[in-house]
Amino acid sequence: MSSAAAPQVLALSRRAILRFARQPSSWAPATIFPLLLVAVNSSAMAAVAEIPGIVPPGTTFLMFLLPAAIIQGVLFGGINGGAELAVDIQGGFFDRLVASPVSRPAILIGRLAGAVAFGVFQAVFFQLLLWPFGAEVLGGIAARFALVIVAAFASLGIGSVASGLAVRTGQPEAVQGYFPLLFILLFLSSAFFPTQLMSGWYQRVAEANPITWMIDGMRELVLVGWSWSAALAAVAVPGVLCVIGMIFATRQLDRRLAVAS
Amino acid sequence: MSVEMNQQRGPIVAEGLVREFGEIRAVDGVDLEVAGGEVFGFLGPNGAGKSTTVRILTTLLRPTGGRASVAGFDVVDDAALVRASIGVALQDASIDPLMTGRELLHLQATLYGIGRRAGRERSNELLERVGLTEAADRLVGGYSGGMRRRLDLALALMHEPSVLFLDEPTTGLDPMSRVNLWDEVRRLNSELGTTVFLTTQYLEEADELAHRVAIIDAGRIVREGAPATLKAQVGLPTLLVDVDPGAEDRARSAMATIGEPRPTRAGRVAIGLFEGASSAADAVRALDAAGIAIHYMELNTPTLDDVFAEATGRRLEGADASADVTTGESGS
Repeated sequence: MSSAAAPQVLALSRRAILRFARQPSSWAPATIFPLLLVAVNSSAMAAVAEIPGIVPPGTTFLMFLLPAAIIQGVLFGGINGGAELAVDIQGGFFDRLVASPVSRPAILIGRLAGAVAFGVFQAVFFQLLLWPFGAEVLGGIAARFALVIVAAFASLGIGSVASGLAVRTGQPEAVQGYFPLLFILLFLSSAFFPTQLMSGWYQRVAEANPITWMIDGMRELVLVGWSWSAALAAVAVPGVLCVIGMIFATRQLDRRLAVAS
Repeated sequence: MSVEMNQQRGPIVAEGLVREFGEIRAVDGVDLEVAGGEVFGFLGPNGAGKSTTVRILTTLLRPTGGRASVAGFDVVDDAALVRASIGVALQDASIDPLMTGRELLHLQATLYGIGRRAGRERSNELLERVGLTEAADRLVGGYSGGMRRRLDLALALMHEPSVLFLDEPTTGLDPMSRVNLWDEVRRLNSELGTTVFLTTQYLEEADELAHRVAIIDAGRIVREGAPATLKAQVGLPTLLVDVDPGAEDRARSAMATIGEPRPTRAGRVAIGLFEGASSAADAVRALDAAGIAIHYMELNTPTLDDVFAEATGRRLEGADASADVTTGESGS
């Protein structure tokens, strides 16, 4: 992508963010549902924190749930970014872009910027909102910043896979159909429940689930303190997803444009 | 095809253009050449291949056969140069309802590499031009159909393209909005010399705006030429005159040198004017000289629908829908 594409990426990013902000149906569920789930789980399962070895002494189950809230919000936002691209294709705005001299990667990156911006917003918002209720982050400012970075990468990764589906199908419904799969993967991880208390196939699946590796890294930053190994573990999974997702989305875009010109 | 060679020809050239979708040939060997500064009407019913041809010419679709150049550049090999040279307002105005008109214009300026300051100035100028200055900061979702089309036109003009593609720009508009948009297209063409490629299924639209039209049916161009020429080729205009019962033969004799008699009902005389519509006045003078009273008079000239019917054996879809903005010519 040439340097001349930078203003195009910025302008398309601005549009993506404005559209997101102007559609409460995009951001409200993605903000409210994770908070509701955290509220219910932290009350219903507060006693779990009393079991030795689940959370370090002096920490709370709310702190345990903070990474899950962030990732759940990011999941909503990422899917929504892809669905928005499908809306552009269905509504004809994509054609307007393709008929202009805009850089092709800018179409994709500009659209994903909305999802990333929302992921960053959620990571900051959830940390600040839950802080007065006891959701400390023992890793300090560096850990808080790392949580934001993880959220940004996860948004980009999920958003790029969703965008690839959007470009391939051109159907927002097809992209939204990807959401339940991710939601199930989230529940089949350590996001809401410690793997030590799971058993059988459920425990084996959760331990092998990359979402667990990511959440556990984030959780260590929250419950234990700052460490490079925890930060890298948390970033690695969404980082790999970003690479896979961007390759997938770029190939789908090339494929669609090859049919055109 | 070299760029130099294309620049010697018109800004839009298609040679044997073909586009197949599986076994369906949506565009089947289209040849056309549009001259610089011309408004070219591309007329045909739904599904005739109009939009597919436009999508090829605007680089949105690759042809499966033939070649085309726009603004001197090949639509396949030099697609990026074509895109930088053309303005496109596609069917169903693809305008983001969650943005304001001004925001969309600023975005368009950036996409075409226009600097921030110049983009803002150009946006203001275009908003003024299409009469949307007051609505510029409202979300497009609240615009009427006519306002959206005008904004779409402004967006297409942002980078002052030499060639403008308007794909069914007035479909779904009320008659007043349609006429306003026609005025704007005329103004663009006459003041800036912009070459306009206009697809439409409305007969009056092509008749009102286009210097030349091509009629496409089932992917093939069935007629091409100036509207007046095409209509003239279909037949002579018919003059209908109601006279006193019993005076029909005398009336026919009085107008014998002006037109050939055509069958009609009693009390009415119909003649096909040899010299076209301009000789209607001669007919009036001839009847007056013969002392025949005229109770009613009607001049029916052939329409583009007649041209289409003559070429394809059926009437053009949408012909009735355009009757609400008729310009005086009656359908026949």
